[in-house]
Amino acid sequence: MPEDVPIIRMGPNLLVALQGNLDDTTVEQIERAVTGEVARTQATGTLIDVSGLSIVDSFVARVLARLVAMIRLLGAEATIVGLQPAVAITLVELGVPMGHVRTALNAEQGMARLRGSRDEPDR
Amino acid sequence: MGYGGVAVGGDVSYYQQMIDSITDYEVIRLDENGVICSWHPGAERLTGYTASEIVGRPVSVFYLPEDIAAGRLEQELRTAVEKGRCETEGYRVRKDGSRFWAAVSVTPIRERDGSMVGYVKIARDLSERREQQLAALAVEQMLDAITDYEVIRLDAQGYVRSWSPGAQRLKGFAVEEVLGHHVSMFYTEEDVRAGLAEREMGIAARQERFEGEGWRVRKDGSRFWATVTLSPIRDEGGELIGFVKVARDLTERREQEQLLARQRDEILELSTPVIQVWDKVLVLPLIGTLDSLRAARLTEGLLERIARDQAEVVIMDISGVPAIDTDVAQHLLKTVEAARLMGTVSVLSGVRPETAQAIVHLGIELGTLRSRNTLRDALQLALRLVAGADRDTVDA
Amino acid sequence: MSLTAEESVTTMTINGEADLLRIRAMLRAEAQLAGLGLTAETKLVTAGSELARNIVRYATHGQGTASVERLRSEGRRGVRAAFSDSGPGIADLDEVMRDGFSTGGSLGLGLPGSRRLVDEFAIDSAPGRGTTVVIAQWAR
Repeated sequence: MPEDVPIIRMGPNLLVALQGNLDDTTVEQIERAVTGEVARTQATGTLIDVSGLSIVDSFVARVLARLVAMIRLLGAEATIVGLQPAVAITLVELGVPMGHVRTALNAEQGMARLRGSRDEPDR
Repeated sequence: MGYGGVAVGGDVSYYQQMIDSITDYEVIRLDENGVICSWHPGAERLTGYTASEIVGRPVSVFYLPEDIAAGRLEQELRTAVEKGRCETEGYRVRKDGSRFWAAVSVTPIRERDGSMVGYVKIARDLSERREQQLAALAVEQMLDAITDYEVIRLDAQGYVRSWSPGAQRLKGFAVEEVLGHHVSMFYTEEDVRAGLAEREMGIAARQERFEGEGWRVRKDGSRFWATVTLSPIRDEGGELIGFVKVARDLTERREQEQLLARQRDEILELSTPVIQVWDKVLVLPLIGTLDSLRAARLTEGLLERIARDQAEVVIMDISGVPAIDTDVAQHLLKTVEAARLMGTVSVLSGVRPETAQAIVHLGIELGTLRSRNTLRDALQLALRLVAGADRDTVDA
Repeated sequence: MSLTAEESVTTMTINGEADLLRIRAMLRAEAQLAGLGLTAETKLVTAGSELARNIVRYATHGQGTASVERLRSEGRRGVRAAFSDSGPGIADLDEVMRDGFSTGGSLGLGLPGSRRLVDEFAIDSAPGRGTTVVIAQWAR
């Protein structure tokens, strides 16, 4: 993961792609960059693209959950998009609680849902 | 009085001492009628009798009843006289009644003029060797009886020292074509280059056993998949003197298994097709009972299809499932959650009254999983969801 | 376990988080060699990542070893991986292996979860003796 975390702006929403090896340093960088950008742009939604993650163990799952929590605290919605099939069933079997995390098949679908979303209580 | 078939001149006592010093053998003298007239430390060791107990008794004391009845003793003495020597092997009996396998040689003693004086009988206990012989014979026979497997012996360097009918059947080579050749003649080129045979023998020598599978080559050049066991053979000192190699042809079985696996996959495909009924809507009709293997395959297949077709809604129709139990329900819920993590909403359809009762009675929590009685209703819901109706607040 | 053959065993030392990447790569390569299929491969590598991470987090100095082994039995291929450390060891194995166990909100050692991901799972641990977990995944 390069020093600067690439975050794409699409209207009122942001898109950040996570890939490769997520170690503590990288995670910190990502958290800083994303929260900073959400605040700076007043984004109402953030899409976290995980299609590049081929392994999501409990550490990575927690990273995702924390990122989502941070984004929400800033008043924006967060959606995980593009989780791979094998990773999805592995996460469920692993037993990491991800019930509170919003998901979408891809960035396009995620965007469509963000556009149509209203304020609603978190599940 | 001399010893041996040749009259011996010289100091009898010297020879006596020499003979007495032999303890592994018995060396005794019989008179012309086969009566024991001298004894020997080796003889005492071998049979358990002391001189005072045995001298003056006939040598038939050591023979088995059946041998006496068969006249073996007379035969041996006669042969000794006629041929100058009689060598036999057979059971003899000790003082305590126990038997031992002995190698016996009887030689006549003559006067200078050739008249018979008696016999010298030399005997040795061969019991141990005999047992080994019998055991080896039994093993050989047993191994030859095995034709499905090859059982061969290699020396410590891997050269073939024995062949078997099973080996011939398996590999096609006759014994003369393999004896003295290195075992790597049965390995594929790549494996020979990689030194596989040496590696396997190394493992067998180090760990007392090597078990493995691999390709081997027959005489006609064809390959087969074999399961191989190598066991080291050691001498009494623990030194490695060779290996026993047992191999079995698994090609047929492996092919059968692969065929079965392919058939199972095909059946699975056929019995649970994922159907795309609408743009972005998939239906998975579950039919029959779900064992865990089948259930896992179904889930994998469904999730792959979701990714491929980018399906936003999946309808899982369970009208074809006879009974819903906790395992089935749990697996269903896992599949639903995995689909959700991917961004897909699931709808359960074909829920019959009995199923509804069972689910509640079992205490299965469906959570936010939507369900409908008929496929048609499920489809209507699916279309509304795809059209953009709020997925999170649509009536469950 | 059924008849197995040891064709090659690779052992790696675990000294820190940086080694997790290597271990995952190793597991993935062996999984592909064994023809496990993507889902079984993903499950195996994930379980391995969990177990290796446990070592980094809980073992003495975060050190331990991971060894990966090829399996072959009756025409099927598989992968076995053993994760060992000489850390504090686990006092109550039953507790730790029970589903729902967690130390303070997190998933704890995540052992029940890892067990669900693999075909074979064995754990040996006791206070003062360290911990060894052995997992195996087979091609269908």
